[in-house]
Amino acid sequence: MSLLSVRDLTVKFSNRGQSVTALNGISFDIARGERVGVVGESGAGKSITGFAMMNLLSRPGYIDGGQVLFEGKDVLKMSAREQRSLRGNRMAMIFQDPMVTLNPVLTIGQQMVETLRAHRKLSHEEARQIATVKLKEVYIPSPEARLDQYPHELSGGMRQRIVIAMALLLDPQLIIADEPTTALDVTIQADIMELLLEMCRSNMVGLMLITHDLGVVSQVTERTLVMYAGRIIEAGKTRSIINDPQHPYTQGLINALPQQTPPGSRLKQIPGSMPSLNAMPSGCPFHPRCPLANDLCRTTMPKVVQYADVEVACHEVQRLQSDLTSEAAQ
Amino acid sequence: MLQYTFRRTIAVLPTILCLIVICFFLMRLAPGGPFTSERPLPPAIMANVLERYGLDQPLYVQLFTYLKNIFFNFDFGPSFAQRDRDVNDIIAAGFPVTLTYGFWSAVFVLVLGIPLGVIAALRQNSFWDYVMTGFAIFSQIFPNFVLAPLMVLTFTLALGLLPGGGWNGGQWEYVVMPAVALGTSYLANVARITRSSLLEVLGSPYIRTARAKGLPERTIMIRHALKPTLLPVISYMSPVFVYMITGSVFIDVFFSTGGIGQSFIDAAYTRDYSVILGLAILYSVLTFVLNLAVDLAYAAIDPKVRSGLK
Repeated sequence: MSLLSVRDLTVKFSNRGQSVTALNGISFDIARGERVGVVGESGAGKSITGFAMMNLLSRPGYIDGGQVLFEGKDVLKMSAREQRSLRGNRMAMIFQDPMVTLNPVLTIGQQMVETLRAHRKLSHEEARQIATVKLKEVYIPSPEARLDQYPHELSGGMRQRIVIAMALLLDPQLIIADEPTTALDVTIQADIMELLLEMCRSNMVGLMLITHDLGVVSQVTERTLVMYAGRIIEAGKTRSIINDPQHPYTQGLINALPQQTPPGSRLKQIPGSMPSLNAMPSGCPFHPRCPLANDLCRTTMPKVVQYADVEVACHEVQRLQSDLTSEAAQ
Repeated sequence: MLQYTFRRTIAVLPTILCLIVICFFLMRLAPGGPFTSERPLPPAIMANVLERYGLDQPLYVQLFTYLKNIFFNFDFGPSFAQRDRDVNDIIAAGFPVTLTYGFWSAVFVLVLGIPLGVIAALRQNSFWDYVMTGFAIFSQIFPNFVLAPLMVLTFTLALGLLPGGGWNGGQWEYVVMPAVALGTSYLANVARITRSSLLEVLGSPYIRTARAKGLPERTIMIRHALKPTLLPVISYMSPVFVYMITGSVFIDVFFSTGGIGQSFIDAAYTRDYSVILGLAILYSVLTFVLNLAVDLAYAAIDPKVRSGLK
């Protein structure tokens, strides 16, 4: 049994009686200790997926169907109390910008101790001790002193280390990291990513890494989900997706990497931009930007098929696949 | 923090000195004087009176004597208009009155305004939210000089519940209407500011973090949301406190409370130089004290401000 299974998860946003679909029945699994990357352009629904898994969507967003099974139990059907005992305890979340995700009026110690004491019967002193140990694990110098400091007294990299330590406080089974390094200096980004990887490896923690940095995904994760317009359009081993992407969108993403272009020439970008939620094109949502689009793509959403090493939702890939099978039949 | 308070206190002394000098000369620029009237006094008597109050001296000597009396004897001089009373007496009689209803007015504003704003924010776009918004608009179109007569009409003349004026040693019935009339428009503003501030805080990433940590909702509200929510309220209240505690001229006059607002008006009409000057000094000292108090409250809540004070 996988640690986490998401089944047909649908998220909508309501606005004055009208609702738009932000997440269109997505399904995926994360095994124990597995590291999964979620990539895609801004607005693809990556962060919404993360929030929905914790059932933390705030209005006007709401979950319109599907299941989030954590160790076999549906999070969405649990009582508020059960959900709370899961959050921060079994599933932890790391957010994008450490400058604003820590409460400015509480000390680091207060914010760590309260998390521990919300889930375990501990005295204040015991909780502080655990917090100190965790801060040491993420290589924070003089952790005792840090506990009494306020977030604004620390650097961005330091704060993100603290956020990671905070996520690890209760030894969770799964960490959802929503672009944990985008707000940081490039030099610190690599450090933080390495730290996160090390922590997940040594503690056997599952990781869902939401990012748009394909380089990070290839270094850290074992499996990758590519999202576009609220759907998973390609999923598989990270190595396969990076080396041999099948969906034209994923191919476009990888071709757009600066390393793929000789210095001095234009980057190969994907023309156009992601459709907005209330103007979703018919058929495959990628067809207006797809170089291979045909009439079928404009009318019908492709099904997910297994091709090469990946699962992919594309009519063109489907055609190639059926060509192969018919060849094999002959 | 103590050092900061001390520094601020030292810094205010020259400010007050400048203020005294400016007020002193401004008053003298206005035509007329405390003893000019429709029927002029005979020159001999006039000279006597002026001599008695030291007004025959050159201006700079008068100023110097005035300052000397304040700094050495804490004496703000005799009233020019009211025989046998000096400025210290007038302040001692009027200020406790103003302070009392000003204080209750501030309590009324905070104790009702903050919870109203919180409820409106938590039940956004609900019945109570609309009630609050309606109340805010209502209080803007009924400033205290409209509200006070309406209250007297309702509670005194129609219902006979509360006295329409007077003070009677500060018995509660006499305090209610001045305090409410003075505070209502601020109350609405405080509720409005609390509402929008709380909504902003609740949408902030650190509240999301608190939720993701699995904290109970009550802890999130009280520990994580309340303090940051109050910061803009405190900023807003800083000048309002001064205004409330020094009282409103209108409230004093309308409810005949005998507060210092009334004395200020009388003194301005009669060119009672020493009273005007004494009250101006009182106002400026109060402004300083309350501003300092608000700044310290700010520092107590916001660690960023606190480290800035060092």
